[in-house]
This record gives sequence, structure tokens and C-alpha cells, in this order.
Amino acid sequence: MTTTATPIRVVIVDDHAIFRSGLKADLAPDILVLAEAATVEEAIAAVIAAAPDVVLLDVHLPGGRGQGGREVIAGCAGLLGTTKFLALSVSDSAEDVVSVIRAGARGYVTKSISGAEISDAVRRVAGGDAVFSPRLAGFVLDAFGTAEVAVEDELDKLSARELEVMRLIARGYSYKEVAKALFISIKTVETHVSAVLRKLQLSSRHELTRWAADRRLL
Amino acid sequence: MSAKMYRSQDRIIAGVCGGLAEHLGVNVAVVRAIMIGASFLFGAGLVFYGWLWLLVPMAGEQSTEGGKLLDADGNPRLALFRPSPAAAAQATAAGQRRPLSVGFREVAVGGALVIAAVIIFGQQQGWNLQLGTLIPLLVIVLGAVLAWMQLDDTRRVGLLSATKMNTPVSMLRLGGGLALVVTGVIVIVAGSGSWTLVWSSVVASLAVLAGVGLVLAPWALKFWREFQNERAGRIRETERAEIAAHLHDSVLQTLALIQKSANSPADVTRLARAQERELREWIYQDNEHDAGALVERVKAVCAEAEDLYGQAVEVVAVGDAELSERGSALVQAVREAVLNGVRHGGTTVSVYVEAGPKGVDVFIKDRGPGFDVDAVPADRLGVRESVVGRMQRNGGTAEIISSEDGTEVRLHLPSETPASEDAK
Repeated sequence: MTTTATPIRVVIVDDHAIFRSGLKADLAPDILVLAEAATVEEAIAAVIAAAPDVVLLDVHLPGGRGQGGREVIAGCAGLLGTTKFLALSVSDSAEDVVSVIRAGARGYVTKSISGAEISDAVRRVAGGDAVFSPRLAGFVLDAFGTAEVAVEDELDKLSARELEVMRLIARGYSYKEVAKALFISIKTVETHVSAVLRKLQLSSRHELTRWAADRRLL
Repeated sequence: MSAKMYRSQDRIIAGVCGGLAEHLGVNVAVVRAIMIGASFLFGAGLVFYGWLWLLVPMAGEQSTEGGKLLDADGNPRLALFRPSPAAAAQATAAGQRRPLSVGFREVAVGGALVIAAVIIFGQQQGWNLQLGTLIPLLVIVLGAVLAWMQLDDTRRVGLLSATKMNTPVSMLRLGGGLALVVTGVIVIVAGSGSWTLVWSSVVASLAVLAGVGLVLAPWALKFWREFQNERAGRIRETERAEIAAHLHDSVLQTLALIQKSANSPADVTRLARAQERELREWIYQDNEHDAGALVERVKAVCAEAEDLYGQAVEVVAVGDAELSERGSALVQAVREAVLNGVRHGGTTVSVYVEAGPKGVDVFIKDRGPGFDVDAVPADRLGVRESVVGRMQRNGGTAEIISSEDGTEVRLHLPSETPASEDAK
């Protein structure tokens, strides 16, 4: 986690004005809201114009081709190197979570999260790390399987350590607690989580595909 | 007569006579007799029968085609046309109306005999009947009957199951009917039984059919698409109505309750939380997770704890397992641990369930002030008896780790068959 002196610049994308203003008030003072957007088109325009560090992105948005957050990420594909997306939704269905992560979001939090937690998540995503909620960790474990299996492609399995980290996050541990429980540094935990995120985004593992197909994600 | 006529569900061939009888208020037997009698007048009865078969809808057909067609007039009429149980019983007792599967063969044989008799009778009377045209005509009729019955069957189950056409028997019926009709027509047109002539006619007619098909295919496709669109629209409408009804029953009621109890934040939180959970369950119901009941039960006890104390309990589940007797004990232990967490923790309680071939693990974590496990007095049954003792009695283990950062209860219930553990 990097606590920089310069504020983190964010764009909030959500179709509910009440939620946007509430979120704006909740965010820590070192997070600067550059712009807000309510639809897919507005969001793409605002993100490209502002080039923020982090986009707080609602999964379900009106406009576009009806794909919501995924479409915004696709529309800003050119910025993916510098702008990070943090998905935000009331929904915690596998369909919404996994599809937006696979589209390129660096993390996923539910809207019931507290102001301090979301500020923390924004800083983490801005620092290049991934943000996993217990539920997302649960989906990962469900998709990749909890047993250690031998597969050829490195992308297709979680290492023993990654499994342990995912399990602890699913159990409600914070990164700090995970680090403490496994006797590793927070930085190492972050590395593991980022690796899992990469695998979740890139893996074409048979089980993941089938898991996704079962849930109509493909 | 203004009443709409429907073909009877209780039928021998196509329910035409039954429907006509009910429509006119006459006995079915009389209608059948007249129909058969009329058949001898140059086949007038047969033609009339076929005409009604084509044009008169089956009773109950409308209801499967969607509510739109059920007008105020048609709906009660449909009920009227359903034979009363007593009448049906009487009919079966009299052996007049038998199910199609039993009756059709007899009817076919009888019909063939009658027709043969008519032919022979006609020959004797010196009518100038030519077998060369009569037999193909019969073949056509038989083929049409076969194909139409197929149509009736699919329509009866509702157009939704038009895919029923894919079953081999129905395809055979339809194909056979078509082949019979085509052959009959060709033989009539060719005017003789000469095979060479027939073959060339077959080729010619197939070519014509193909040509017509080519021209009509776009229209058929268009109609099919329109039909599909309309159906999809109807389905959407039904779904929308269902959602509206559900929202009304749940969300609106809860919102009303929340407005009433606006003075009590605890009540509002509890109501909102319970409604949120219920709505989530309804929206994101995962059919796959219904198979094993363990996760379902764990979620239920967590919901119960949430309702009791107005404290959020987040459940994350990976995999699922059947609910055995030991599983039920595990669920009870989870319940105690969760209740303990919401009671003393005072923050969100995280529950993680992992069910695999080796067994079930459950972790219950809260961020409360924690307590000294060893310092819990022996007479406090709560944790020691209902969590640790219960797990041990059922061959599982329970661990309680508590610090100032919170408390975590770890429950493990090994799989009942140790063999699966070896297989892993």
C-alpha cells in the first residue's frame, strides 16, 4: 500500500445520484473526486477526459449496449495501464463479480462497505494491488477448486500459498491479519492476491470455463 | 348460435363429433351416427368432418396459447365444454369414448371395413366406381389423417412443445402421412399404376415442391420469427408481472413497516437487512446450490441470528454437501457460534463454509473484544457444550481462537466415509 502525499484522483460512476453524493462524503480527504457519471457513455467520456487514478465503477449501468460496467472498462481499454477500475455493486452474484473482474477490474467491493474500508480499497487499487472481498475469494475458490491439482498451465491453478491466502480472505481476514496468520509480510500477501487476480482474468482453465458456463457467465 | 365451438378433448379421432354434440346440445352418439350416415352420401360426412377438424380449435387450446386469446366470452365457455366427471365416467362405462391409443385401431379397421362395404355395395349396384381412383383417394385420406393427428398432438400439449416433433415416432407419423398423401396424389394425377410413369411424376412433383418451398421459405421463416418474438414478449410480460407481484409482497410491505418504525433505528436496520437478504436470495438464487442442503441450512441459521440481533452475518460458501445427521449437528454448532458472535462481537460476523470430499470446514469470525477461552466458567454451557462438545460427539473438532482483534471459531467435520479421503 502506498500512502502518497498527492491525493488519489477518482471518478465515480453510478446511476444513483444519492449513492454518488453519499460515497463522495464518505471518502477520505486524500481522495479527490474529479468527475461523476451516470451512464455508460458519460462514464467513458468522463474517464477519458479526466484520466483518473481510480474509477469507482458500478456494475449495473444504464446506456450503452446494456453491459454496464464491463462496457465502460472495454471503452477505456487504452487507459488500463494507468487507470485502475474498482467495481462496486449491491449485487454479489457470481455473474456480476466474475464478469467485471475478467473485463479488467482490479477489485470488487459491495456497496454496503464502510467509508474507511472503501477509501482503503481505493488506495490499494491505486497502488496497483487487487482488492478481494470475502465473497470474491469464495468465488475464486469455487471456480479454481479447493484441492491442489496438477495442471500443465501455471495460469490454471492456484499455488498452495495462494489457496491459503484466498481461504483466509474468504474467512473475513484483512490483508494484515492474513500476513500475521501466515507469518509473511503484507507486501507478499498483496503479491499473492494480485497473482490470483491475474489468473482469474487470464485463465482459460477448463474448470473455470465450465464453472462460468454453469452460471451463464459465458 | 353464438357460442364458440370447440373440438372435444374426449375424442375418438379428433373430437369433432363430441364438440359438435356439445355445441348443439345433442347426444354424441346421434351426431356420430349422422356423421357416418352422411359419409355414405358421396362422402359428404367425411368432407364435413375433415373441414371441421381443420377449422375448429381444440378445447383448451387457447389457454396454452396465452392469456391474450382468453376473452371474457371464451373463458367460461371452455369450462362448459369440459365434460363433467360423472358424464365422463358414464361414457367410459358405456365404452363409447375410449382413449385414443386404445380406440384408434378399432376405428381405423372399422372405417376401412365400412368403406370396403360401400365400394362392394356400389359395384353391385352398378355404380361406375373405379378402384384406380378410389384406392389412391383412400391413401390420401389416410395420410392426411395421420399428419393431422400429429398436429393435434403437438397442439394439445401447447405450442411451446412444438419441439416434440423431434421424437422419432412423431416424425415417422408425419413423414408417413406426407408420403402417403404425395403418393396418392401422384397416382391419381398419373391416372394409372404404371411405375415408370409414377417415377417420372415423383421427380417432377418433388421439383415443383422444392420450387414452391424455395419461394415460400422466407415467408414461413418470417412468420416463425414473428411467432417467436410474440412468444418471447408474452414470456417477458409474465415475468414482469411476477416480479411486480413479488416486489409488492415483499419490498413494499417492508418499506411500509420501516416508515412506521422510523423512530427505532434497530428495527429499521433489522427490517432492511432481512428484506435485503430475502430479495438477494430471490434474485440470485443459484439452482445448483439446492442439491446439497448443508449450505442452505447454514445460511438459514445465520439469517436467524441476523434477525435476532440486527447484526450482519456474511456467509461465503464454497462447495456444498448433503445434510446428514452429523451435518445437522454441525449446523447447530454453527448456530451457537454465530449467535455468540453477534451477541458479544457487536460487529459483522463472517462465516465461511468449505465443503469438499475430505469433509466440511466452517469458520465463524467476529471482530469483537474477544474473551479468554480458558477463563469461561465450567457452568457456562454456551460455548463448551453446544459448540466444542457437540462437534466432538459427532467425530469433528472445534477450535476457538480469541484475541483482542476478535474471535474465530473453527469447526471441522471429516467426511463420513474415510475411503474418499484416501481417494483424494
